[in-house]
Amino acid sequence: MDTCDRIRRAQPWLGTFVEITAAGAARPEMEKAVELAFAAVTRVHRLMSFHDPASDVSRLNREAGTQAVVVHAWTYQVLEMALELHRRSAGAFDIAVAPVLQNLGMLPGNENDRRRISAEADASSAIELLSGHRVRFRQRGLTIDLGGIAKGFAVDRATEVLRDCGVARGLVNAGGDLAAFGAEPEAISIRDPRDPCSVLCQVELSDAALASSGRRFNPLQSLDTMDSAIIDPITQKPVRESAGATVVAPSCMIADALTKVVMIAGDGAADLLGRHKASALLISRSGEIRVTPDWHHAGSRAA
Amino acid sequence: MMNWGNDAMTEWLRWTAPAAVVISVTAPAYAVQYLTVGEAQKLAFPSASFTEVEPGRVWKASTGGIFVFDHVIGKHLYIDYAVSIDSGGRIHRVDILQYRESYGGEVRSPSWLAQFVGKADANQLKVGGDIRNISGATLSSLHVTEGVKKIVAAYGHLR
Repeated sequence: MDTCDRIRRAQPWLGTFVEITAAGAARPEMEKAVELAFAAVTRVHRLMSFHDPASDVSRLNREAGTQAVVVHAWTYQVLEMALELHRRSAGAFDIAVAPVLQNLGMLPGNENDRRRISAEADASSAIELLSGHRVRFRQRGLTIDLGGIAKGFAVDRATEVLRDCGVARGLVNAGGDLAAFGAEPEAISIRDPRDPCSVLCQVELSDAALASSGRRFNPLQSLDTMDSAIIDPITQKPVRESAGATVVAPSCMIADALTKVVMIAGDGAADLLGRHKASALLISRSGEIRVTPDWHHAGSRAA
Repeated sequence: MMNWGNDAMTEWLRWTAPAAVVISVTAPAYAVQYLTVGEAQKLAFPSASFTEVEPGRVWKASTGGIFVFDHVIGKHLYIDYAVSIDSGGRIHRVDILQYRESYGGEVRSPSWLAQFVGKADANQLKVGGDIRNISGATLSSLHVTEGVKKIVAAYGHLR
C-alpha cells in the first residue's frame, strides 16, 4: 500500500496489539472507518474476555452450569463455530480446556477451584446452544475460554466494518491473526516459531485471512518464547510435537481456530482444512516443515 | 497424533526454505510511527485545547479529561502509547503511538533510540526496509495493559 493515502493505527486489545490499516478512500472517511473498526474489536474484547467479570464468557463460566444464560449474537455465533469445529476435529479443538490452562498457571484461577475443577476430555460436548441466544452447560464447573478463536472473529468483524465503510484496501492484524482485502495483495512475513529473529517465509495475501499459532512471546521481556498455550484435550498437556502452524483461510475466525487443530492433530487436520478451503504450514519440534498441497496457491514464497 | 485418513489428495508436502534466505532476513530493527502526540490528543478529545500538567507527559483537556503519554521499554521492544481518561475517571481510549522492535537487544541504548528521532514527520517510518506485516508467535500486550492501569491510578483524580 502507498504510504500517502493510507492510515495505520494500533491499540492494545485481546491481550495483544491490534493494528488496522485502511487505504483507497478519502482521509476523513478512512479515519471514521478505522474508529468504527476498533469499536467492533473493543466489543468482541468486552464480550469474550476471560478476565473481565462482566463479559459473556465470565457470565457463562459463573452461571451457565446452573441456568441458561442469554449471550450476545456475536458470542453465540463464535460458540456455534467452536462447537462445530470441536465435533469435526474429533475433539482436537476444545474451548473447555481452560481449567488445564488454569492449572498450568496460564490463566488466572482461584487456588481452591484448581483442586476442585478438573477438565474432562470432550468437555465441549456438555455445552448446549438453545434458542434465543441462550447457552447452558450440562456440567457444573465447566469453564470455557474463547482465546483460541475470538481474535480471529474480531479481525473478521473489523474487516467487515472497513469494507462496509467503503474502504478500498485494508488490513487488520491482531497479534499475527490477520485479514487483508483489496486489489493489491499484502506481503505477510511469517516469523519462525523456533527463532523470532528470523522470517520463515512470506505469503502474498489477497482477500483472505491468515493466522499463526506458536508460543506466546513478549519482546519486552526476552526472546524466549513461552511454553505453548495450545493444550491437547486428549492428553491434557501442552502440545509438544509441533512448534508452530500457519493457516490461510477465507475467514480469520476459521484460520485462528484451525491453527490449533493443525498444531494438535498434524496431518489429521487435512480433511477439516479442505472443508473450510484452508491451507496450512506446520513446523514440527524437530524443524521439519510441511505444507498442504494447495499452500503455494496461497502465494507463499521464500522470504 | 490422530489420523482421519490420508488419501493422496490431502497428503502434506515437505517444504524447505533456502538456508541462505532465512539467514539474510534476520531483522535488525523494526519501527512504526502510528500517531504523533498531537494527533493522538485530537483523536481522544477532538474539540479540546490542552494544558500541560507535567511537561511532555500529562495534559488536561479543556472539555474535561486527562491525556497521558507514556512508554514501556523492554529488552527488545519499546512502545510509546497514550491513555486518555474521561471526566468520570474512566479509561476513554488507549492508542499506540510508536512501536519499535529490535532483536539485537539494544532497545535501551540512547544511540539506537536516536535513529528514530526526527523521522516521525511521515505517517510511518522505515528502518531496515519496508514496514512488514508479521504473523507468528502472538505478541503479548501485558506490559502496556499494566502501564494503563498504573496511569489511571496515578492520574485519574486529575480529571
